[in-house]
Order: sequence, then structure tokens, then C-alpha cells
Amino acid sequence: MKPVVTEAEVVITHEDVDRAHDRVRVSAARARRGFSSKARLLWLLVGPGVLVMLGENDGPSMVSYAATGAKFGIGFFLPFVVLTFCMAVVVQEMTVRLGAATHRGHAELIFDRFGPFWGWFSMIDLGIGNFLTLITEFIAVRAGLGFFGVRPWIAILMALVILYGALMSHRYWTWERITLAAAIFNLIFIPVALMTHPSWHSVGHSFLTWQPLPGFNKDVLLIVLADIGATVTPWMLFFQQSATVDKGMTIKDIRFGRIDTVLGAALATAAAIATILATAPLFAHQMTADNFQAAEFAQALQPIIGRFGASLFALGMVEAGIVAAITISTSSAYAFGEVTHKPHSLNLPMGEGKSFYAVLTLCAAAAAAIVLIPGLPLVYVVLIVNVVAVLAMPPALVFLFMLVNDKEIMGDLVSPLWANALATAVVFILTSAGILFGVSIIAPNIFAALGGQ
Amino acid sequence: MTKIHSVPSISTADQTLVLSSLEHDQLVGAKKHHIPRRHFKTPELIVLWALRLYLIFMMAVVGYQVWMAR
Repeated sequence: MKPVVTEAEVVITHEDVDRAHDRVRVSAARARRGFSSKARLLWLLVGPGVLVMLGENDGPSMVSYAATGAKFGIGFFLPFVVLTFCMAVVVQEMTVRLGAATHRGHAELIFDRFGPFWGWFSMIDLGIGNFLTLITEFIAVRAGLGFFGVRPWIAILMALVILYGALMSHRYWTWERITLAAAIFNLIFIPVALMTHPSWHSVGHSFLTWQPLPGFNKDVLLIVLADIGATVTPWMLFFQQSATVDKGMTIKDIRFGRIDTVLGAALATAAAIATILATAPLFAHQMTADNFQAAEFAQALQPIIGRFGASLFALGMVEAGIVAAITISTSSAYAFGEVTHKPHSLNLPMGEGKSFYAVLTLCAAAAAAIVLIPGLPLVYVVLIVNVVAVLAMPPALVFLFMLVNDKEIMGDLVSPLWANALATAVVFILTSAGILFGVSIIAPNIFAALGGQ
Repeated sequence: MTKIHSVPSISTADQTLVLSSLEHDQLVGAKKHHIPRRHFKTPELIVLWALRLYLIFMMAVVGYQVWMAR
């Protein structure tokens, strides 16, 4: 049963008009037959899934993948990264269904359905996670442009100009296309990987056998957690559902929403694997990469792939930081608007969406300003941000499963049994990884008894 | 029957376009109405509290790890 509107009056706004114009194009493409119409429909409906997946290939995620390749080579981690993106697809598909069926954002649904007590818990998790992650995005931008000698404040200013520039159209569609165009540059890691001349035989062997295994110790556990956190995080749930709603997607569009999500995951997996392959030569040359951040990886790779390849790697880090800064600050603004019932859409003119744009710009500006404060030990934020994301994920996922299995709001679109089984497996894996990490820190004796080193 | 109004600067053509292109509960005005609250069953509350305590505990572990790494 869909929510029933009981009040007698509904006012049509400019946001409705903009969304209606987008929907007219979708309806026109759907009405026509043939391959080109289907391709156009895909072009019109693709967006939230690709953005969320490439957005999550952010600064700390690319650093995690780079550290994975540099410290452990390929082996176990190539298929493992594919597995983590499969988990992301399972989870994110649910947000598409929720958004299309209810036309409500994730934060709004949690507040309405479960009440403010649990709603605020989930908002606190989201707010802390988003802000820490935003800081790391600007660190990535600063480090990436630092490779070219750009001063930190100029690098940060450039990132903010791009972020605010995308907002200037006050149209969801335009914002989405600009951000998609920027996000595609995430694939810049693929030519970098090719420049290292990877052994395709070893790559194939790694995918088929998951060998060599990296051992079982605290370092491996941390990188496993960081790689999981590089693909599934709470902000992704909130962003994709809100973007699906803002785009105006309906039940008819769910199939394309799924294609969008899988396409995004495939592109993001390609970029992630390319990053591991790109830094794997550092492992082969036995170079220590323990304290490497974005720019250090580019510098270390320069003797192997030359100045041009290293520059591409640094630019990839900049792109990763900027696109994630855009999507994460937008997810914060959506969530704030949904829980406070203030207007929240990228279709809003500035005058009607003051609080939405204010939250979005202030979040980004505050995170950017922190990065410019000299002497702050920001390296710790980069190290823990993906781990924090993994730890915060199980509570967020339980809310998601309860919503997506709620017949009163989802009707026939509740999750089938196999999807619930997969989703339960994801929660189990994330919680187990988190508990194992905790044991390795506070009870190393028990960790050793479990076979850890 | 729900009455539909539009803000003054929206033309009749746009109003018609909105009504023909968007589902009723996609309208911004329709979203002002809350979805009814549901109440948790005891097993659900146990899971939610367990995960909440898990998160708080694990955050303390992360804080401890950062402190030790300084």
C-alpha cells in the first residue's frame, strides 16, 4: 500500500515543473521502439548509480587500492575487490527500488517510519562519516595537485569552484551530466595501469585462484577493511535514493536503475583494479609504502612509468577527490532537507532552496578549510575513514533491509528471498570483519589464537 | 478529491505538463504528508540496540588505535 495523501490541497512548484520536463523526455523515449530509443532511454536514466559508484572511488578509496597493490601485489585482492563491488550492487539496488516506489529520500523514510530517536542515530552516523570523508577528499585534491607544484589553497579553491560551478544551473539534469563527465575521468587509472605492463598471465591466475593469499595479520585486516569501506558506505545509500527521487524515477524505471547501478559498479571496479595493478610494481620492487598518501604514490611510480604516467596518477587522485566532494556534500544536503522538511532538490532555484544550498556549500567549505589549517594530524583521518565507514554500515543496512521489506510502503516491490539472503550475508561479512579488527586491536592474544599474526 | 494549485509564476501549460508527467506522490506538495510510523517488534529492537552498541564500542576501538599510533 503506497502512502495515502489525505490533505485536500497540493501546490505545484518550480521544482515539479523542472522534474516534469525531464520526465517528458523519458516518456517520449519509452514510447518509441528500436535500439536507438532504448539507448536514449538508458542515456536519460543513467546517473545516480554511476555517480554513486564512481563517487565512492574517492580519495581515500584510491589510496586504499594503491596501498593494496604496493603492499600486497595482486593475488587475493583483485577478485576480492570485484566481490566488494558485487556487495555494493546488492545494497545499492535496494535504494533504487525504495526511491522509485516511495518517492522519498532515505533519511526521510527512516524518520517517518522509525521515528526521530532512531532517525537521529542514523543522521549522526551519516553526518560524522560524511564530514570526515569530505576532509579526506580535499586532502586528496591538495596532494594530487601538489604533485604539480600547485599551492594548497589554490588547489582547494579550484575544487570548491568546480563544486559550486556544477550547482549554478539549479537543474538536477545539468548537475548530473557535469558530475558524470567529471566522474568518467576516474578511468584515468586504466592507462596508468597499462603503462606498468602488467603480466596478464598473473592477473588471470589471480582471478581464477585468489592466490597468493596475503597472510592473516593486522595489516592485512586493515587493508581488507579499507577496501570494503572503499565500496560500501552509508553515504551511498542516502545519496542514491535521494538522487533517484530527485531525478523523478518511477517504478517503470527500476530496470534501468539496476542497469545504471551495475554499469557504475563495472566502471568503478575497472578503475579500482587498474589502481592496484598500477602500484603493484612497487610491491615487486619491494618498496615500502607504509605511510604513502596520494602524491607519494605518484612520485614513487615516476621511475617506472615516467613523468606523464605519474602525472595521470596524480590527476586521477584529484578527480577522485573532487567528484566525491560533490556527491558526499550533496548527500548531506539531501539528508538535512529530508529530516527538517525544508526544500531539498538540485532543481530548486537559489531563492527557494537556501537551506539546501547552504548546507551543501558550508559542509564542503568547512572540510576544505580544515585541510588548510597547518599542523593538523590529518593523516589519521585518511587512515581510519574507510574503516569507520565499514563499522557504520551494519546499522545503516539493517534500516535499509527493514524499509525495503516493508510491504506497507513497498507493496509488491519488497525484496525477494534470495536478495534478503545476499543482504544478510553482506551484514554478516561487514560485522565479522569489524569484530575481527576490534579483536586484533584490543585482544591481540585472542587474535593470535585465531591464527592471526 | 485533492485540489491542485500552483505558485503564481507557473503557467497553465506547465501546470498541465506537471499533472500529466508526474505521479501524484512525486509532487513536492504531496510529500509534505508523513508516511505513517511503524513500531518495532522485540527482536528488531534487540538487533538495532546490539548494532548500536557494536558501533559505539568499535568507534572507541578506532579512537584507541589512533591514540596508540600517535
